Amino acid sequence: MNKESAYWIALAHLPRWGYLKTNKLIIKFFHEYKLSIEDFFQLSENDWETQYGLEYKEVEDLKKAKLELVNNAFLAETLYNEGYELIPITSPLYPKTLKDNLKAAHSPALLYVKGNKQIMQEKSIAIVGSRNASDKSLEFTDNIAKLASKEYKVVVSGFAKGVDKQALDSAIKYKGQSIIVLPQGIMTFSSGFKKYYKQIVDGDVLVLSTFPPKVPWKVELAMARNPIIYGLASEIYVAESSDKGGTWSGVIDGLRKNRKIYVRKPDANENIANNLLIQQGAIAVDFDGNPLTDYKPTLSEVNKSNVKSNVNEPNENYENKIFDLLKTGEYTVKEIIKKLQLTWSEKKLRDYLKSQKEVETINKKPLRFTMKNSTVKQISLFK
Amino acid sequence: MTQQEAEIILQRTFNLSHFYDEQWITIEKILKGERVLLIEKTGFGKSLCFQFPAILFKGTTVIFSPLIALMRDQVKKLNSLGISAKCVNSEQIPEENSQIISDAKAGEVKILYIAPERQENSEWIEATRQMNLSMVVVDEAHCISVWGHDFRPAFRRIINLVNLLPKGLPVLATTATATKRVETDIAQQMGGNLTIIRGNLMRDNFRLYVIKVNSEDDKLIWLGQNIEKLPGSGILYTGTRVDTEIYSKWFEFLKISSVGYNAGLDADSRIAIEAGLMQNKWKCIISTNALGMGIDKSDIRFIIHTQIPQSPIHYYQEIGRAGRDNQPAYIILFYNPEDKKLPEAFIEGGRPSISKYEKVIAAVKNEMLGERNLMRQTNLKQTQIRVIKADLIEQKIIREVTIGRSKMFEYITDAPPLNTKTFEELRASKTRDLEKMIEYAETTQSRMKYLCDYLGDSSTHSFTNCDNTGLNKIIVSINDEWRQRLQDFREDYFPVLEVKTKGTNLINGVAASYYGVSNVGIALHRSKYENGGDFPDFLLRLILKAYRKKFEQEKFDLILYVPPTKSGELVKNFAVKVSQVLKFPISHNLIKQRVTSEQKVFENSILKSDNVKDAFTYKNPQEIRGKTILLIDDIFDSGATIKEIGKYLTNLGALKIAPLVIARTVGGDLI
Repeated sequence: MNKESAYWIALAHLPRWGYLKTNKLIIKFFHEYKLSIEDFFQLSENDWETQYGLEYKEVEDLKKAKLELVNNAFLAETLYNEGYELIPITSPLYPKTLKDNLKAAHSPALLYVKGNKQIMQEKSIAIVGSRNASDKSLEFTDNIAKLASKEYKVVVSGFAKGVDKQALDSAIKYKGQSIIVLPQGIMTFSSGFKKYYKQIVDGDVLVLSTFPPKVPWKVELAMARNPIIYGLASEIYVAESSDKGGTWSGVIDGLRKNRKIYVRKPDANENIANNLLIQQGAIAVDFDGNPLTDYKPTLSEVNKSNVKSNVNEPNENYENKIFDLLKTGEYTVKEIIKKLQLTWSEKKLRDYLKSQKEVETINKKPLRFTMKNSTVKQISLFK
Repeated sequence: MTQQEAEIILQRTFNLSHFYDEQWITIEKILKGERVLLIEKTGFGKSLCFQFPAILFKGTTVIFSPLIALMRDQVKKLNSLGISAKCVNSEQIPEENSQIISDAKAGEVKILYIAPERQENSEWIEATRQMNLSMVVVDEAHCISVWGHDFRPAFRRIINLVNLLPKGLPVLATTATATKRVETDIAQQMGGNLTIIRGNLMRDNFRLYVIKVNSEDDKLIWLGQNIEKLPGSGILYTGTRVDTEIYSKWFEFLKISSVGYNAGLDADSRIAIEAGLMQNKWKCIISTNALGMGIDKSDIRFIIHTQIPQSPIHYYQEIGRAGRDNQPAYIILFYNPEDKKLPEAFIEGGRPSISKYEKVIAAVKNEMLGERNLMRQTNLKQTQIRVIKADLIEQKIIREVTIGRSKMFEYITDAPPLNTKTFEELRASKTRDLEKMIEYAETTQSRMKYLCDYLGDSSTHSFTNCDNTGLNKIIVSINDEWRQRLQDFREDYFPVLEVKTKGTNLINGVAASYYGVSNVGIALHRSKYENGGDFPDFLLRLILKAYRKKFEQEKFDLILYVPPTKSGELVKNFAVKVSQVLKFPISHNLIKQRVTSEQKVFENSILKSDNVKDAFTYKNPQEIRGKTILLIDDIFDSGATIKEIGKYLTNLGALKIAPLVIARTVGGDLI
């Protein structure tokens, strides 16, 4: 039992304080001033303002949070009594993987967990994908979970339908270990605790939430949970993604944070956005999760990714035309679309151009593109 | 705030002129947001130490107290002073509790008394998230410690809560009875930064006596001869619930005004009895010590124990309720060296066997279970399950969680193995305590000093308030007249079978005797299990006497008997004899339609009920319609069989079903 739980609950859920702001404050009192959170809350408002440089509004937020400490203590007591544990970011139990991956900017200050905490210190993978994934993707998920379980890697899953659920079920099937990352408060998961009772008792499942314990499921929470899944995993596998939605934005977010993300190479007949992710920098993998370093999707393959748009599907001719045009000078996407009468969205064209090694991006406003050195070779894409 | 300033407010709000030193020291610390453990004797004025600061604080003060009667009294007193105080407890209807909780949420309650068990109630927990709380008080704090005399598992959560409360929130723990060991244990559990304030425990208005006796008869007769001679009204503590019944029937027989009080009574009866006590309605209340009677009556003039308590601390706690007005109070303990068998049995039998613990662990490990299903799966008594459950929670092997509205037990991941060493330590410690209690009975020194020393209050004061130090010894003298009266009483007293339930036409029945208390049990056992032939005739005489006493006014159309599982025709033959004497027709048509197991195989009433459910049928059902029925059996234990048959016969149209049995067991596992 962490005796400072009431304080951590207060600090972790300050309204409209982002993770970064909260974590900066924690770093200051915990690492710089070597204060416990309890001592920090005993400081005067004046100290908060002068030593910690907090603004009036922030001090007001903390004052309000301080008034709720007794109430939080009651909540914490209930949580501990029901077997939940609270793990603040300063605790040695806080998973290192999560902190390394998400850094101060994105790490939640407090985790609510139930189950075998040791699991959080193990090597881990996440398998993510659509809620309505194809059989093919589910088979891939099952296979990756099997391989991971064999290697004693923990499978992190978000407890959504489709790929998430498959990853969890498979890890359990192959006697592996899993972390369920909840899109809701941990006290609202009674049915799940009943369902996975045996696995939790046996130490094979840990349930984790970063939200106030009693909040019910919400779309926003599901979106906010995705980075936690990625953060908890040492490796990330994508079974299937469409070009929008949770998986898509999760992977894009991961790539932006320089994570290595493995994406299943889709079969030729699959209309999914996996290739688009590969083109964005994710690594293609085969059915067993082996990286296919040489694999580069063709533009037409990439375009299949754009499952939503069906008019004027761009094809190789367009690509040739684009490159031909770029050999002649610098152009903005708007100009390219106009000149070639493309039906692509500006964003799509911009993303595509950025992903092509042979295309140079000129950092002016608006962005302009041209061919590198104008010495144009036949690009591998067109082989 | 200075003491003078505080005392001005004290005068205005509580009509009291000043604080005692230790009261003010405590209050000063509380006002500064500190934590205090206050150990003071009953009647010292501990309550003022939290009630006074509570009225100064902005928000609500929550008092966790296990004693409902005490809560009620204090609330009444505070309300009469114009202080808004309320209590939430299981004896009020849920709507009333809800209203009080929402009043507290709205900041309309200054002082809120609440039972520690309430911490398991989601409505309360929900409310605590919005309440403005200013102080937390843990009353009867000795209940925190397994080394005390009244450990209560519900307090574990209160301790956890105290440990989670933020710095600067005042916490006061109070008790009247804590040995050094309990004091240390409480302090350790409540965490650092705790000030301990301990007062002296001496009660010089007590008149302490120990009456040496050789039998139960001696006790009954001495009380019969002398209780009316004692001043005022008081309490008679007995060792068991059955004894409570026997003593109150004895007093009833002697026309001594008394009333029985035990944990099995419903709330209304308890409230009525407590109110009656306040008005001196009876000479004495006869109660088990199982129920901590937190009665705030200042003029209890005597407290008598018919049975030696488990330890001096139990004893001190129980006698502590006498003479709070500082007028003389008679404190009498009957002591028969034989009596230590009962507390010894409590100590020995207080814990189920290790294999039963293992059984519960295995069941919970495999599946999340509620209490009822756990009883089904393990075939253990509810009382045993509760002991095991409390121990396993204490050892962090299982925990109790709330799923929806029901409580379930779950196994804790990576739980340690069962630690039996602590059981042995506890047992050894309890054995030592019992020896100390016997030493109290046998000592030739000052009894008050003995108790004070035991409680860690090493006073040098010389005491002259016991039968070793200035008072005359009480000697029991018995004559034939009293022997005869006791004999008459015994032949006139029959235990009641409480089976009356809503939805059936069962009425409460009667037994000829208790099973283990007389030679009746031995006779039954010989016939049933040692091929001793039909039940002997003295049982017939006895049961007919019981019948006449209870059912003199009743007429029955039909006699039925419970069909046997194993012991052949014994009950049938017996019932035939009863029918011949009473001249009611007997029917043999009540039969079993499926094989059942013997009820005694099952340890708890849930399995007993399962065993006999839908087991009976009647060959010629229209015979039953509109009839009044006398239902005969040999032994009445949980009552599951009688209730099942009663339900069945009611459905067939029986107007009244009255059970009549030879013996009733003691301590059935009733839910």
